[in-house]
Amino acid sequence: MTRSRIYGTVGIAWLVLTLAAIAYGTRLALVVAPTEATMGNVQRIFYYHVPTSMLSLLFPYVNFIASICYLAWRKFDPMRALTADAVAIAAAEVTVVYSSICLLTGMLWGRAVWGIWWTWDARLTSMLLLWLLYVSYLMLRKLSATGQTNTLAAVLSVFAAIDVPIVYMSIQWWRTQHPAPVFFGGADSGIDPSMMPAFGWNVLGWAMWGVFLLLFRYGLERRRQESEQASALRAIEGTLEIAQ
Amino acid sequence: MKLSWIFGSSMEAHHLLASYLLVWLIQGGYAAWIAWQWVRTGKELQSGLSVSSEIDNDL
Repeated sequence: MTRSRIYGTVGIAWLVLTLAAIAYGTRLALVVAPTEATMGNVQRIFYYHVPTSMLSLLFPYVNFIASICYLAWRKFDPMRALTADAVAIAAAEVTVVYSSICLLTGMLWGRAVWGIWWTWDARLTSMLLLWLLYVSYLMLRKLSATGQTNTLAAVLSVFAAIDVPIVYMSIQWWRTQHPAPVFFGGADSGIDPSMMPAFGWNVLGWAMWGVFLLLFRYGLERRRQESEQASALRAIEGTLEIAQ
Repeated sequence: MKLSWIFGSSMEAHHLLASYLLVWLIQGGYAAWIAWQWVRTGKELQSGLSVSSEIDNDL
């Protein structure tokens, strides 16, 4: 059995388990979990909003670590640096996907509960800034024509990662419209134990899905790098042919 | 608990349904885009490698 075939089989098995976890988590969230006393059924957005928000603060660190590795390896081990670069772009895209979902589901929830789609409070604004930073990162990679694009993007990623702890701490540092932390937020924080299974399964399912997307996108970037190397090789071979 | 209320006409039902659909749409759309690019890059890679080996033979 070839290595790519083993990866394919493991990937499909992982995807099936992931979809099963998401389906079960969704069922628990919509059907089994109790209706929240104050907000009613719209509170069930919580089971998608909070796990995706948590993950949107984790993937930037994958991008950050990969970018540091790229910067460290690019001079003396370029092939290894390309691997780190592929991880970095995959993590940045997954961050944009998860943070977009966090912002959009938050707006839908906010309109139903607060009566407004948006407010410029510290949590919402710092999260929007995070989204903008990673969109800028991807645009830089797509549009920049210099030979230093990967290095510039890696440096931007280091600055972007600084926003992550600010987003996390914003609801503790400042008084915000956004609720206080549900977990690790002191004596009054936490959710009813009957809501925990729905929350836990959605965290698991969306984390597994995030890992799947990350590895799938990484694989795609490696194929692109191989394709670019093959094109460069063909160009060199073409030049040699003309010279002869 | 029955799920039929989610298709009701209240704002909370609309927003809950919209949230869940939006999540599946964005995640599914992104996964589909990667899959499409995967197939496209695979084809490019295959044609590139075959041209490259033809040039090798010529040389």
